Amino acid sequence: MKKIAFKTLGCRLNQYETDALASQFQSNGYELVSFDKEADVYVINSCTVTHQSDHKSRNFINQAKRKNKDSVLIVTGCMANNAKDELENRDEINYVVENEQKSSVYSLVDAHFNGEILHPSQLNTDLFSYGSTNKGFHTRSMIKIQDGCDNFCTFCIIPSVRGRASSRPLADILDNVKQNIAKGAKEIVLTGVNIGRYDFKNYKFDDVVEQILNLEGDFRLRISSIEPDGFGDKFLSLLDHPKMTSHLHLCLQSGSEPILLQMRRMYTLKKFKELIQKIRAIRSDFNITTDIIIGFPNESEQDFNATCNIIRELNFGHVHAFKYSIRKGTRAERMPNHVDERIKTKRSEILRSISEETKSNYRKSFIGKEQYVLVEKTDGLNAKGYGEHYIPIEFAGQNIQKNQFYKVLITGIAAGNDPELIGEMIQKKDA
Amino acid sequence: MNIYLIIRMRSHKVIGIRNLTSSTYVIRMEKNDFSFKTGQYITLGFTGSIDRREYSIYSSQNADYLEVLIKEVEDGLVSKKLKRCKSGDMLDVDGPFGHFSLQNEELQTKKFLFIATGTGISPIHSFVKSHPELNYSVLHGVRLEEEAYERDSYNKNQYILCTSREKTGDFHGRVTDYLKQNPISSDTVCYLCGNCHMIYEAYDILEKQGINLGPIHTEVYF
Ligand SMILES: Cc1cc2nc3c(=O)[nH]c(=O)nc-3n(C[C@H](O)[C@H](O)[C@H](O)COP(=O)(O)OP(=O)(O)OC[C@H]3O[C@@H](n4cnc5c(N)ncnc54)[C@H](O)[C@@H]3O)c2cc1C
Repeated sequence: MKKIAFKTLGCRLNQYETDALASQFQSNGYELVSFDKEADVYVINSCTVTHQSDHKSRNFINQAKRKNKDSVLIVTGCMANNAKDELENRDEINYVVENEQKSSVYSLVDAHFNGEILHPSQLNTDLFSYGSTNKGFHTRSMIKIQDGCDNFCTFCIIPSVRGRASSRPLADILDNVKQNIAKGAKEIVLTGVNIGRYDFKNYKFDDVVEQILNLEGDFRLRISSIEPDGFGDKFLSLLDHPKMTSHLHLCLQSGSEPILLQMRRMYTLKKFKELIQKIRAIRSDFNITTDIIIGFPNESEQDFNATCNIIRELNFGHVHAFKYSIRKGTRAERMPNHVDERIKTKRSEILRSISEETKSNYRKSFIGKEQYVLVEKTDGLNAKGYGEHYIPIEFAGQNIQKNQFYKVLITGIAAGNDPELIGEMIQKKDA
Repeated sequence: MNIYLIIRMRSHKVIGIRNLTSSTYVIRMEKNDFSFKTGQYITLGFTGSIDRREYSIYSSQNADYLEVLIKEVEDGLVSKKLKRCKSGDMLDVDGPFGHFSLQNEELQTKKFLFIATGTGISPIHSFVKSHPELNYSVLHGVRLEEEAYERDSYNKNQYILCTSREKTGDFHGRVTDYLKQNPISSDTVCYLCGNCHMIYEAYDILEKQGINLGPIHTEVYF
């Protein structure tokens, strides 16, 4: 039996695509092994969104061939689009597969072991022809509904590596969701680059959400990351649907109006706040998590303080903050007044401590309340999973089974900078 | 074959170039089968070159040519190169992009105020040329009077030139000074385009005057 190992960097969409590829290889008789083990095939699904992600991708490329010099090494993902020439010139890489052909990696490997060397450009290019993710790495079932982005934020390289926005036909999405529910999926997660801009034959994003929520079955729906500009009242009205999880990752990027304008974001801080007020009017404990870029060109002390203040004010459940790094070819690269690295580092530390405090306060507010937890890991007596607000919860009980919902009373919180909630099982959901 | 990927980059032949000042020019290209919604922008560069920049479309969505209004920026790469282009040159056009656009249901019923600095007037020129029946005013902020690019395109009493470096405009000062001194009625639909400092300040002033602005109402150039 041939062995395959994957390494995924970056966004949830990459994770989904790896999961789908891994499932396809497993269904075709491959054994999935971890990336630090010897394998016949290594696939690196790379990311290029920051300097750090480029650096990590390069490190994993170096590692892969050292484990087995006869293995097939494939690099795909955004770095494959952005640094194709560089990667193609590296002897240790067998194939560089751009995002557009990623869904055909299995055919490429299959052909390779049958003695046929295909050039990746000969592969089928379909952004949505991934199979289901039932055998991959996660209990959650991710569904890709959209790819690409046309927003052209000034810092962002995604439009040039993921291409322009395109949406998957609604009927395909619903079929894919139904198949996954039939196979036992309990949590459906929508993914894409800018899912709020879903647009297929007059169907918009809220239509996709509504139609999924109306499907039969015992599952919950989670919207992963969404831009704060892409939805209206219909979407908001779906947020208190019993199948909807109370979590949205809304990328704010900065708490300063002038910086948001220079980023060419599609909203103002005021609109962002109004949106959060509307969401929290539906469910006051709604978990809103966000991304922040620290040290965007021209970011003054005052701009940074505005970001710190808004994090405290909006009580985010989690802040994913990263230092601004230049992406070649973007407008921000050409802006004057780039912020010194040392200042960025100092600001990152300040922001990290504020966001840890808000995260801990937010999570503590669940103590004494009940949550439905979907179990991802258990030994029968202790279990780990996520509640309906997408907060990690660890609880004790009896006969606990993986991939089932349990009603849990939250009794405490663990220590650390990403503290899990601690709870006790009340009952299995359908009991 | 991927049915979802639409390759939008096209080569367009330059028909002519019109110099409006020593640094600002209009490039007219063949339109071919390109279509767009007035207010949108394209990315433009010489065919085969990797250096491309965003430019709002200056011409009407109904015209049978495509125009952009460009100011050569000091130490700028692409705005300088494009200034040297000649009839017959081929330029690559990608797009259209952007959400800075008029709402169909408002066209007949609303009163519009378009506020622009410098070449930020470009999409506004396209608005006015595409919808000659619009009930609009334009507030154009520039440094010198000569930057009132093709002001004949606008009805005389609907175009207010704010000059900050000379007193020859209709108003001496910035557009933001004008707005403070001449409050806008809150039923006006405002669109702002150009320099981000102007947009930030004007946004604040207009909100205080009771005007509600959404994301489609601003276009930041730099
Ligand atoms: C959506 C959008 C639409 C645009 N539409 C137009 C348009 O219709 N007409 C137009 O002339 N420009 C427009 N621009 C600006 C244009 O894309 C370029 O930035 C500009 O032409 C300069 O490019 P460059 O390669 O010459 O300069 P670069 O080499 O990119 O930049 C050189 C320096 O000039 C600064 N700079 C960039 N733009 C300007 C500017 N406009 N004024 C002063 N300094 C600047 C940069 O920050 C940099 O420091 C638009 C920008 C955006 C985002």
